[in-house]
Amino acid sequence: MNPAIGYTAIVAVALASALIGFYGLRVSRTTSDFYVASRTVRPWWNASAIGGEYLSAASFLGVAGLILLTGSSALWFPIGYTGGYLMLLLFVAAPLRRSGAYTIPDFTEARLESQWARRVTSLLVIVIGWFYIVPQLQGAALTVRITTGLPSWAGSLAVAVIVAVVVAAGGMRSITFVQAFQFWLKLTALAVPVIALLLVVGGGEPPAQLTPAEAFPASAGPGELDVYRTVSLMVALLLGTLGLPHVLVRFYTNPDGVAARRTTVIVLVLLSVFYLFPTVFGFLGRAFAPDLAASGEADALILLLPDRLVPGPLGDVLTTLVIAGAFAAFLSTSSGLVISLAGVISQDLLGGSVRGFRIAAIVSTIVPLIVALATESSGLAGSVGLVFAFTASTLCPILILGIWWRGLTSRGAIAGMLTGAVLSGAAILGGPLVAASAPLIAPFLEQPAAWTVPLAVIVTVTVSRLDRRGTPPGTDAFLTRLHVPER
Amino acid sequence: MRVTAPRTGGGGTSARPLRSSGADDAAGDIAAVYVRSLIRSQLRLAVTVAIGFAVATVLFVLAIAFVPGLDDAYLAGVPVSWVLLGAGVYPLAITVGALYLRAAGRNEARYRSLAEDE
Repeated sequence: MNPAIGYTAIVAVALASALIGFYGLRVSRTTSDFYVASRTVRPWWNASAIGGEYLSAASFLGVAGLILLTGSSALWFPIGYTGGYLMLLLFVAAPLRRSGAYTIPDFTEARLESQWARRVTSLLVIVIGWFYIVPQLQGAALTVRITTGLPSWAGSLAVAVIVAVVVAAGGMRSITFVQAFQFWLKLTALAVPVIALLLVVGGGEPPAQLTPAEAFPASAGPGELDVYRTVSLMVALLLGTLGLPHVLVRFYTNPDGVAARRTTVIVLVLLSVFYLFPTVFGFLGRAFAPDLAASGEADALILLLPDRLVPGPLGDVLTTLVIAGAFAAFLSTSSGLVISLAGVISQDLLGGSVRGFRIAAIVSTIVPLIVALATESSGLAGSVGLVFAFTASTLCPILILGIWWRGLTSRGAIAGMLTGAVLSGAAILGGPLVAASAPLIAPFLEQPAAWTVPLAVIVTVTVSRLDRRGTPPGTDAFLTRLHVPER
Repeated sequence: MRVTAPRTGGGGTSARPLRSSGADDAAGDIAAVYVRSLIRSQLRLAVTVAIGFAVATVLFVLAIAFVPGLDDAYLAGVPVSWVLLGAGVYPLAITVGALYLRAAGRNEARYRSLAEDE
């Protein structure tokens, strides 16, 4: 592939993001502006921004790569990524907006009136954020290596630097514009190539490498479902979305609870439209580029397919588009995560000032950069799926019970979060180690949410019940505030 | 109606705020009942919708797996079963979400009209 195409696309996206970010700087002045854009963002803008932030390397590159690699079981990933917003709409969106808190730790502290519950939540938010940024940086490494021929570390480093600078300089209002822009960029960057490729392929030239029956064997089809893995993956993705720190912080920028709900429904629509395109890319890949699965480069399918099917200038244009879209995905998700991490770190450790936020933004980028440089990517969609499992086992039970159950106490919440963290963390780390030696229990470790989430909920409820006196005195007033509609 | 007078007397054993009369107490209790019933109806709605979505998805997937011929019928070179799983759940999620949006708004409107009658 011609490296000039890669450089052009990457520099253009980086410049556009930075320009929009600095433009936003002129309108963000106060601390409150900085954190939550003064809560004046309209539903369509907000929904585009949520989509822009949410659609990460896993969605942009990983889904198509996994469809190519494993077949129709991969189709459950985008279903879960989208369905998570339905759960968010049902259980969290409006009450969380009305809680008046900036971050998840703010919410736990206000609900449970406990500094310890706040500290544990902050710690989990930081861990989750870091491990979610890592696959973004690995996706960037892959993209830069494939498209420019530069070494992998250059891609990770470039994304980390751009994100740290834009976030530290602009804060969240500017990021709302950047994120909204990046959703539409990502959608265009997949939709236009998909339509162009379908038109080209529809003309019969080049011919598919495999017949339909070979490309889509029934053994990889929807009928051959691994029930436990699919159910567990769905639990992780549907419930994990509720607890993602960068998703939640976005809800505070809605003007009221009803707007938060409307925003979420719009997000459902935007994601549903978006995911059709990686799905078609994956299908095309199975018929036209099956060799990529064998060579371990499945995650690069979207980057390589346009050039393979349409060599020449048109292919170059399409390739530029997908590279730009992929880079937008890494930048937007990482900056969303860095904002929420920086918000948590600066409020808890640095006194909540604007300067503290900037320092925290830089710290929140450096740690995952080190992890990304030290480790190898093992499939983008899969590693993000594990972060969802961890989130679903730790933050999701506390959010749902905190919003809907007056019996929750700080001891119950802390016990539940630690149980979920230890169990799902151990399973995720242990899974790859026992995969070969104990194939019977391997699925339960590799896809742990189906048992870690219920256990975390049981521990939370049991400890809270034993601790009836620990019910915070302000519980009724706080729940009233969460559920009563604004004037 | 807010009581602004400072607390008097040495009692202080009750956690409830002091109120000037029994009538206010009753009004406060009724308001609390309205809020609790709002929370209950919203929770019931959310759980019902979530279970409905899960059941509908499971039925859809079983249909894809067990209706004969979906693996062998092709749409633009892709088996119909793959196309259905790849595109079919999203319209369901959007429909369910839109229905919930209206129902949750209705619950809140009912609460409002009760609370304003006070």
